[in-house]
Amino acid sequence: MGVLASRAWRLALPLLISLASLPALASAQAPSAAELARGKYVFGATGGCGCHTVPKQPVNAGGRRYDGPFGTVYSSNITPDRETGIGGWTDEQIITATRLGRRPNGERLIPVHPYTTFNGMAADDLKALVAFLRSVPPVKRANQPKKISVPMFESVFLPAWLAAFAPIENPPTSVPASGTARGEYLVRAVGHCGECHTPRTMTMATDNSRFLAGNPKGPEDSEVPNITPDKTTGLQWSEEEIADYLGSGNKPDGDVAGGLMGEVIEGTLSGYKDLSKADRLAIARYLKTIPPIKNKIGK
Amino acid sequence: MKLRPMRTAVILGGLVALAAVGCATTAKSPTIGTGDPVADRQRLMKNVGANWADIQNKVKAGAPETVAVNAEALSLHAQRIPSLFPVGSGTDKSKAKPDIWQKWPEFEAAAKNLENRSATLRDQATAKDGAAVTATVGTFGRDACGACHTPFRVPPPQQQPAQPRS
Repeated sequence: MGVLASRAWRLALPLLISLASLPALASAQAPSAAELARGKYVFGATGGCGCHTVPKQPVNAGGRRYDGPFGTVYSSNITPDRETGIGGWTDEQIITATRLGRRPNGERLIPVHPYTTFNGMAADDLKALVAFLRSVPPVKRANQPKKISVPMFESVFLPAWLAAFAPIENPPTSVPASGTARGEYLVRAVGHCGECHTPRTMTMATDNSRFLAGNPKGPEDSEVPNITPDKTTGLQWSEEEIADYLGSGNKPDGDVAGGLMGEVIEGTLSGYKDLSKADRLAIARYLKTIPPIKNKIGK
Repeated sequence: MKLRPMRTAVILGGLVALAAVGCATTAKSPTIGTGDPVADRQRLMKNVGANWADIQNKVKAGAPETVAVNAEALSLHAQRIPSLFPVGSGTDKSKAKPDIWQKWPEFEAAAKNLENRSATLRDQATAKDGAAVTATVGTFGRDACGACHTPFRVPPPQQQPAQPRS
């Protein structure tokens, strides 16, 4: 008995030690200030995840309404509140929802959340983003249920649409650090510029053969400009002017950004305005390299 | 006999008084142009934009203390903005969102904000405080113009190149 007890103790001891050291491990994994700063920067590069904030209401608490041909959805609470937000989700679950559009229970997100685009985000940026999301004050606000008006939309139509029509970005193995590749990464994946600036096909998928050629039927009834370098219908600003615009909202003709573009430049806790000059120039340089598409938006 | 010049004087005086009242009434009229509020406010905003572009060019050229005249123009224009958005003027030609009239106190506050920010800029330029002007201009587009454009204006579909300036 004594030997057995001693053996049991010997077996249990490492377990006890490892249990005792769990809090220490957890605190060792707490994000550094640099990681949080990086997360805030990535958050800003998405436009401040602005769809998840009703203007002038608590940041990231969701509740913003979006009408589509399928019905009405409301953005989710992405604050770290355990009950109504994402506080109870693991990092991996948050990343899966962000880039694959699956909730922890396996349910698909409606692709108003642009997961087919965010799929192109690099793992390191997503980890930093999640760390930052967890650092924002939790807000207790229950998500509003969606109202889907199309029969079998989620069970049949959505999976079929995702498989057949939705273009999907591929994540790079590492985050591009500079140059046109950096600009491409910020435009195509993180900044998700194509969600508004790329026209859509009849199935409502973005028509990437006309990438960033403008959308005459954009969100909130706006006509979204063609920002390809087409000489007559596209964006003709210099690289410097594009970079200035993303940081200040100022256009070369004295006008100033508004609407949804104004929102993503301003952001919430951070926005496009907080991108470094080098990154804003990288975006501008990349925009000069995409195929010019003739597509006149507006009269 | 002496009454006639007196009567003439009274009549003439009355006409002068009537003319004066007429002029005063005309001066009180809120129109600055066509009387079409959409055309008038678009004209006003073009001038706001021209002044704002001028301010930025002056700061880039290293002459921030010279923006006082432009900032004063912006401040005066801002005072007119609410009167150029009468109820019912949200027509097809206009980029004004209906939210303007649904959230009128917020819209008025946004115009007041432009007036105040412009006055601050003017005072900084008048005081020859170039560093303060440069700092204010750095965020002015977003926090003075954008703060109203973002909630209350549908963005224009075309991006215009810079206008040639004399």
